Amino acid sequence: MKKRIITLLMLLCLVITGIPSAKADDDWYTYTYNFWGDETASPDAYSVTNVFYGRNFGEEVGTFNDPEGMFVIDDLVYIADTANNRIVELQYINGSFELVRIIYTLQVSVKNQEMMRVYEQVADPIEGNENHKKWVPGEITLTLKSPYDIHVVKMDEKKREKMYGTSHIGELYVPPVPEPDEKEDGTDKTDDTDKTEDADKSATTSDSEDASDGDAATEEPGETNEGEGKDEPAKEPEKKLENVVKKELDRDYDIFIADFDNYRIIHCDYNLNVIGVVQQPKDETLDDQYVFFPSKFVVDDVGRYYVQAKNINSGLMEFNKAGEFTTYVGASPVTLSIVQRLWRRIQTKEQRKRTKQYVPTEYNNVALDPDGFLYVTTATLKEDEYIAKTAKPVRKLNAMGQDILIRNGNQSPIGDLAPGTAENIKGYSAFVDVVIFENETYCCLDRTRGKVFCYDFQGNMLYAFGNYGMNAGSFAYPSAIDKLDEQTFIVLDRKCGTLTIFEMSDFGKLIKEALDLYRVGQYDKSADVWTEVLKYNGNYDLAYVGVGRALLRQEKYKDAMDKFEVVRDGVNYSKAFKHYREEQVEEHIVLFLGILIALIVIPKLIRKVIRLRKEIKEA
Amino acid sequence: MSNFISGIIGFFTGPKFKNYLKTLKYSLYMILHPFDGSWDLIHEKRGSMAAAHTIVILALMTRLWDMRFSNFMVNHTRWSEVNIIKELASVLVPLFIWVLANWCLTTLMDGKGHFKDIYMATAYSFTPYVLIGIPMIFVSNVVTQEEGVFYTYFNVFALIWCVFLILCAMMMIHDYGLLKGLGSSVLSVAGMAIIIFVVLLFFSLISDAVAYFVSLYKEITLRAS
Repeated sequence: MKKRIITLLMLLCLVITGIPSAKADDDWYTYTYNFWGDETASPDAYSVTNVFYGRNFGEEVGTFNDPEGMFVIDDLVYIADTANNRIVELQYINGSFELVRIIYTLQVSVKNQEMMRVYEQVADPIEGNENHKKWVPGEITLTLKSPYDIHVVKMDEKKREKMYGTSHIGELYVPPVPEPDEKEDGTDKTDDTDKTEDADKSATTSDSEDASDGDAATEEPGETNEGEGKDEPAKEPEKKLENVVKKELDRDYDIFIADFDNYRIIHCDYNLNVIGVVQQPKDETLDDQYVFFPSKFVVDDVGRYYVQAKNINSGLMEFNKAGEFTTYVGASPVTLSIVQRLWRRIQTKEQRKRTKQYVPTEYNNVALDPDGFLYVTTATLKEDEYIAKTAKPVRKLNAMGQDILIRNGNQSPIGDLAPGTAENIKGYSAFVDVVIFENETYCCLDRTRGKVFCYDFQGNMLYAFGNYGMNAGSFAYPSAIDKLDEQTFIVLDRKCGTLTIFEMSDFGKLIKEALDLYRVGQYDKSADVWTEVLKYNGNYDLAYVGVGRALLRQEKYKDAMDKFEVVRDGVNYSKAFKHYREEQVEEHIVLFLGILIALIVIPKLIRKVIRLRKEIKEA
Repeated sequence: MSNFISGIIGFFTGPKFKNYLKTLKYSLYMILHPFDGSWDLIHEKRGSMAAAHTIVILALMTRLWDMRFSNFMVNHTRWSEVNIIKELASVLVPLFIWVLANWCLTTLMDGKGHFKDIYMATAYSFTPYVLIGIPMIFVSNVVTQEEGVFYTYFNVFALIWCVFLILCAMMMIHDYGLLKGLGSSVLSVAGMAIIIFVVLLFFSLISDAVAYFVSLYKEITLRAS
C-alpha cells in the first residue's frame, strides 16, 4: 500500500521534528458545509498520491529549508528553497520527480549587457549626479539570497525581442567592487545598512567575496541537519556555491526570481542570463527608510510585475516590464464600524495614538488565473470582519484593482466558518496561497489548520480537506500550492520541507466534470453527472442544485422545487415556483374562478336567506 | 349516554358558551377600537378569562404553526434543535412576568386594574398576531422569495399593532393619562428585568444552600463510617 509507505515516511518526519499535538477536528478528512454551516462528511475529492522530501530528489538537494515559494509550468516545478538560498528545478515525470538543476547563481553575460547594464554603486544616488554609477563591463555573477518566490513564463527569442526590445531594459546596481586581494567583508556590511541597492557578490571578485558567501552558508547547516547533516551546502561552506545541472533541458522560458534579501526581482532567460531587474522603487509614496523586500509576485502576459513586498499595505506594487514602479493595485479600503468611529471621536489624541491603528490589510500572496486575473490572499483580517461577514481573505482583482470575486454561496469563501479554539489552531483560517483551475475553481491554502478549501466559480464551497499535523495529507506549515495539471496539485510544506501531491479522486472528477459541463451550457448532461455525484455523497448540496437546475430547464417544476427545497436554495426554488404557480393557476383556472365567485356570492345568499326568514317570521 | 350528549349540546347552546363566543368576538372590536375597546373590556365586562386564555393559546399555536408550516425561504427553524416546551415558555414566561410586574407597579401608582384585568387586556392584545400570523403562513407558501418580504412586513406590522394595543389597554384599564400610561409600561419592563434578576439570584442561592447541606451530609456520613 502506497499510503502505508507514506505514513511510515511521515512517522519518520514525526520522530525528527517531535510529536505533533495534532487535534483532528472531526473524524473525517474531507467535508463540506451545508446550508446551516455544519460540517458534513464527504468522500475524498482529492487523495494524497505521494509525499516527497528534498532528499528524494537526490543527494544534491538534501533537505529543503523553509521553502516559501513554488511555481509549476508544464512539467517543471520550481521550488524557492528560501533558507538554502537556492531554486530547485524539478521535472515531473509519471508521478515522480527528477532533479533538473539547482540554481544558486545567475550571471550577466557579455552578450546580454546591451539589455542589462551593471553599475557599480560609487556613492548615494543623487539626482542629476550621474557620477554615482560606474559601468562594470564583463561577466558578473549574482548570488541568490533568500529567494522567496519564483515565476516562469513562456518566452522565446522572438517574443522577448518583441516585448522587451534589444536596447537596455534594466540597470543593476551592485556595491563597490573591492580589490581582488583584499580579504574583508566589512565593506559588504556597511553597504547593507546603506539601504541603497544590494549586497552582491560578483564573479569578478571571486576570492574576496567568499567570506560573505560563507556567512550565508554557515547558517544553513544549523537549521538543516536535524536528520543527517550531510546536506550538500553544509558539506562545503567554504567553497563557492555553483549551480548543479543534472539534466540539460532546452525550454523557451523566462524565469523571474524574487531575491528577497538582495532587495530585487531578477528576470533571466532559461539559461540563467539576467535580462532585467526590479529594484528599490523610487516614489514619493515611499518614505526614505523604505527598503524593498519583494516576497511574492507574478508577471502577467505583457510583462508587468505585481509584487507583494514586505511592509507594503497599499496593495500590490505594479512595475512595468522595464522594472519601473508605476502604481499600486488593489488596495483594500479601511472601513471603520460605527462603534469604532464613535469611539475614536471620544478618545483624546493621546489615546488615539495608543490604540490599534486601522490600516488596510496587507496581502500575503498573489496568483494569476488562466484568464490573467490576479487573485490575492490575506491573513491579517480582524475578527470583527469575520463576525460581520465582510471578511474577504481571498480576492480576485480586475484591471482597476477592484475585487470581483463572486460570492454567491451560502457561506462566503473564508475557510472554516468557526474560529479555532485549540491550542495550535487559533482564530479563523489564514489563507496563504491560492491556485486557480481552468474552470475558475480555486483552492485556498489555510496555514493555521493545514487545510485546502476549494470553491467553484460562484463561490460555492466544493470541499475542504486537510489537517494540522505531519501525516500524509496534513500540513504543519503549508506555504505554497500550485497545480501540475487540472486534476493534480502540489502543496509545499515549509516546516516539513515536503511536496505533497494530491490527485483527484473519482468523486472529485465527477464534480469537476459537472462544473465543466455546466460552464459550457450543457445543463442536462451536467445534471446527469450531478446525479452520479449524489450516489457518492447524498449530502452534496451543489449536486441537488445542479439536478434541480436541469429539471427546471426541462420544465419539471415540481421536481425541481423538491430538489431546491432539500438544500434550501431559495433563489432557485423561487424561479421554479413561479413557473409552477403559473402552471397550476392556468390548469385550475375554473376552480379558482369558482372559489372566487363562491366567496362573493355565498355570503350574499346567506344574508338574503336570513332576511327572508326574518320577513317570514315577521309576516 | 344520551344524557351526556344532550349535556354537551346543552353546553354549546347554553348561555355560558354564548357569552364565551360573544367575549371572544369582542376581541375583533377591541383591536379596531383600542381605547374604547379596552375601557369596555374591563369596565363594562365585555371580556372573559376563557376568551383571554383562548387567544393566548391561539397565539402560541400560531407561533408553532409558523415554525412548522411556513415556507423554508422565510422560516429558518431547525427542528432538530427546537424544544417546544422552551418555545412555549419563551412566550408564556415573559407574559406572566409582564403581568406581574405591571400589577406590582400599578398598584403603587394608583392603577385601577386588577391582576386579572391586566392579563385579560394583554391577552386580547395578541389578537392581531393571530389574525395576521395564520394567513401569513398560507401566504408564505404561495409567494416567491422577492414577494416574501410581504410576509415579513405583515408580521412586523402585526407585532407593532400588538404592542400599540397593549399600551392603549394599560392606559385604559388603569385609568391613566398618556404620559403615565407609557411611563408605567416602560417601568414595568424594568420591573420585569428586576424580577428575573431576583428569581435567578434566589435560585442560585438556593442551589448553593442545598449544595452546602448535601456536602455537610456527605461529610457526616463519611466520618461516621
